[in-house]
Amino acid sequence: MKQSLDRFHARMDAWGEKLREKEFRIPVDLTVGVIFLIFALVIMWIMPQQVVISEKDVVNGRAFPTLLMTVMIIACAALIVKELYKIATKKPLTWKVINLQVEMKALVILAILVISYMLCRVTDLFVVGAVFCALGFLFYFRCKKPSYYVITIAIAVGIWAAFRFVLGVDF
Amino acid sequence: MLEYIVPATGLLFTLENILWINIGVFVGSVFAAIPGLSVILCVILFLPVTYTMTAIPGMMFLLGIYCAGGYGGSVSAILINTPGTPHAAATMLDGHPLSQQGRTKAALKIALYASTFGGVFSALMLLFLGPQVAKIAAQLGTPEYFMVCVFGLTIIAGVSGKSMIRGIISACLGLLIACIGSDPMTSYDRFTFGVSRLYLGLDLAVCLIGLFALVEILAKAEKRLDALHLDTRKIKDDGKITKSEYKRMIRPVLLSSLIGVMVGIIPGTGASEASWFSYSQAKNMSKHPEEFGHGSVEGIAAAESANNAVTGATLIPLLTLGIPGDGTVALMLSALMINGLNPGLSLFTTDGDIMYAIMLGLILVNIFMCIQGKFLTTLFAKVVSIPQEILTPVIVIFCFAGAYSVNNNYFDVGVALIFGALAWILRKLDMPPVPILLGLVLGKMTEPHFRRALLISNGDPAIFFSSIYCLIFLALIIVAVATIIRGKLNDQKKERAAAAAAANVHEEE
Amino acid sequence: MKKRLLSLSLATVMGLSLLAGCSSGGKESWKVTCPWAPSGVAAVVSQKAAEMSTKYSENTTLVAEAIQGDAATVNTWVADTEANDTELVFVGEGLLSITSILDPAKMQFTYEDFEYVENLYSSIFVLSADAELNVKTIADLEAYVEGTSEISVAVNGATGSEAFLAAALFGSMGAGDKVKLTPYQSAAEAAQAVAKGETSFAVSHQSQILETAQQGGVNVVCAFDEKAIEHGPFEGVEGVGEYGYPYFRNRCFVMARAGTDAEKVSALKDLYDQILADEEVVTWLQDTMLLEVDTMSKEDVEAHVENVKNIVNEYKDIVAG
Repeated sequence: MKQSLDRFHARMDAWGEKLREKEFRIPVDLTVGVIFLIFALVIMWIMPQQVVISEKDVVNGRAFPTLLMTVMIIACAALIVKELYKIATKKPLTWKVINLQVEMKALVILAILVISYMLCRVTDLFVVGAVFCALGFLFYFRCKKPSYYVITIAIAVGIWAAFRFVLGVDF
Repeated sequence: MLEYIVPATGLLFTLENILWINIGVFVGSVFAAIPGLSVILCVILFLPVTYTMTAIPGMMFLLGIYCAGGYGGSVSAILINTPGTPHAAATMLDGHPLSQQGRTKAALKIALYASTFGGVFSALMLLFLGPQVAKIAAQLGTPEYFMVCVFGLTIIAGVSGKSMIRGIISACLGLLIACIGSDPMTSYDRFTFGVSRLYLGLDLAVCLIGLFALVEILAKAEKRLDALHLDTRKIKDDGKITKSEYKRMIRPVLLSSLIGVMVGIIPGTGASEASWFSYSQAKNMSKHPEEFGHGSVEGIAAAESANNAVTGATLIPLLTLGIPGDGTVALMLSALMINGLNPGLSLFTTDGDIMYAIMLGLILVNIFMCIQGKFLTTLFAKVVSIPQEILTPVIVIFCFAGAYSVNNNYFDVGVALIFGALAWILRKLDMPPVPILLGLVLGKMTEPHFRRALLISNGDPAIFFSSIYCLIFLALIIVAVATIIRGKLNDQKKERAAAAAAANVHEEE
Repeated sequence: MKKRLLSLSLATVMGLSLLAGCSSGGKESWKVTCPWAPSGVAAVVSQKAAEMSTKYSENTTLVAEAIQGDAATVNTWVADTEANDTELVFVGEGLLSITSILDPAKMQFTYEDFEYVENLYSSIFVLSADAELNVKTIADLEAYVEGTSEISVAVNGATGSEAFLAAALFGSMGAGDKVKLTPYQSAAEAAQAVAKGETSFAVSHQSQILETAQQGGVNVVCAFDEKAIEHGPFEGVEGVGEYGYPYFRNRCFVMARAGTDAEKVSALKDLYDQILADEEVVTWLQDTMLLEVDTMSKEDVEAHVENVKNIVNEYKDIVAG
């Protein structure tokens, strides 16, 4: 068991090392400008289906979201124009480095969170998800101390019990 | 007034009251320190305990929770970069950086002392100026509330980080998210995409869990596993606050306590708005604005004194006019009503001793909060030395349980997860999350007040300049915007000067 | 070390006190879910009933819980419960008569999903007017309506009971096209709006306008009831029913899940009836909450729901546009 775990960790380390070298850069201001410009336009486009209005309204329910999206479009346009000007005048853009290893690790953490949530929801028993969450993170951190497993699982069950029996939260 | 003080003191200083104050303070501190467990949720859960008590011990218990909740939120904000309650978000900006500098205890102490001062200040305001202040607050109407919201939105500039444009985009996103749910003016659904539960809107505490707590969990991916282990032996945290730091805190604490009281007496606004207003003002008036966001003692003191100064102030409209200033205080109203007390000015003559006992009790609550806090600071500070393997899942479990408890529904846990993932993407794009939070806080107030004001005036925007209070707020907005522009221009000048100096050095070489 | 010991002992004592305070006995407890604000009238009365339940029953305890969410909370309750579960829920005319007509998609339940237990209270809404208008009686109101081009009314929520009562009153006076309903986010805010001069009128619970009325900022014009108010500070205020205008009271029905044994429902009804007949509760409801004890039969409830439905159908154009 211990050997296979070590082998698994070694394989992960090797894979991680490969991923650590893989980086890509994004022109962050330009990306933000484009993404949120599209977002604002989509919101404007779906507004008539998503916000029903009444003819009686002095200021209807679309006015405020429309105002917000207009401000967002102007801000995005300013970001895009600023970056395009930099490109035209050959000034350096603002870059953001994205490391694939970090993103993969974040995905693994997100997976632990999502599975914990799904377990709670499917079993309708919070403690199941809580124990999985504890084990998931201990495994993620490659914890080898049995006492940590005992303590964390005990706390997970304790939190559930405190909410369930002391605070009366029904889950 | 004096004729009630003596009997009120007799009613207040009983062993039972002291015990309930301390239990309330302890429960409130612990609840607020756990992300997702809001003060209002704590009061809801423990309200039934008060039904077997008479009015004073019941109120002392609830006030203990309420005041300590104002301080408790700062504990997790400082320790784990996750505000325990929405109003501790401003504290997080400087509290956590100071903790990372190895001064966790000092950060916790500053938060505690500032909270105590803010709390006592507002309790004294309630005691001596309650009815007078309440009469002024009662004159503020919908257009004035809207102007307060606009003033609040000027803070975005101060919390946008390096790029104000990105801050504006974030704030628009937050304000848009606040629009999700039933339209407050028509009850028609907006942006619910057929998801039935969305018509209730998104709860601020749930969004906060995703935006600040879960994203910090995802951020564990940014560090190597061996770098996550903190060598606590290297940290020499004596918790000392220097004389000069105390001196620097005086002005922001005084000003923020005043801001907290002013915000607190306006029903519908709350501790979140107060802490942001104060943080922004403290930054604008500081001799060291560059320290804000990097562990400024002024920043922590300003935010914390303001959010605790709200506690006494929200009781002013409650006790004098019967109008609850926020949700938690509304629950206290119900606790009083259960005991046959219907708050209002008339109660000051029929049950003056009880009213004054409650008001004096608020001072006592803050004193006990300080005493307990001093002991608990040592315990709380230990959190940073808990191994990550244990602390990380425990935070997640608390977050999930907290999100579930808001509406007793897993839907909210899902929403928190979505917000966590969204916050991670925004982090990758260098988008500041604080303006989103500000948008969420202010959005629920800004739009309804804007539309209602125009409905009252039949569409005439002159309503926003129709009263002296509107004009005062307008002047404040102009001053705030001018200060921001001046600050930005100074920053640019400094940057240019630094660039020129660097170029000169380069040329000389 | 001394400090650490002190901290630890403090924490232990607090924790133990907390647990002691929250422990419950071995009785059968019925959880009563209130789908509205925990600080609202229904939640407060429910808490009082829960407190009194220990006095009248040795084997049944009522446990009050408030989960704000209106239809969403009741949807969840209906989905999660089955017949004979020890769970009760509140519903009122807002859900059964208003939401069911204006926005049925929000409701995943019908009246048939419940077994009626008892009506917890009855609240008579009142119409208050800005004191400067000098409108004090229904006759004054009729004269005012005749001579004005706009009637602005502050209400709690855009499509709540208050909005429909205002629409029904002014609509039946033939002034439906003059009515401008201004929705506020809480009942307290709506009641204050009229005192601030933002609107000419407000519809609210009696308790919510009491302090403002006592300070002279508003005149309480009429009550939305058949007859004049009989108790409390607004005693003698005319009822709109006396003038033939439509009205309804705000009620709060305690419901069990449909299919629950008749004996259990009957035992619960008895318990509620005993609590509601308690002199302390009656006085508290009348004097502090300004509400009335109003026990009802199933037929009365159905008649109430139908009456409100008729009003909603007739005046929904004024409210919803």
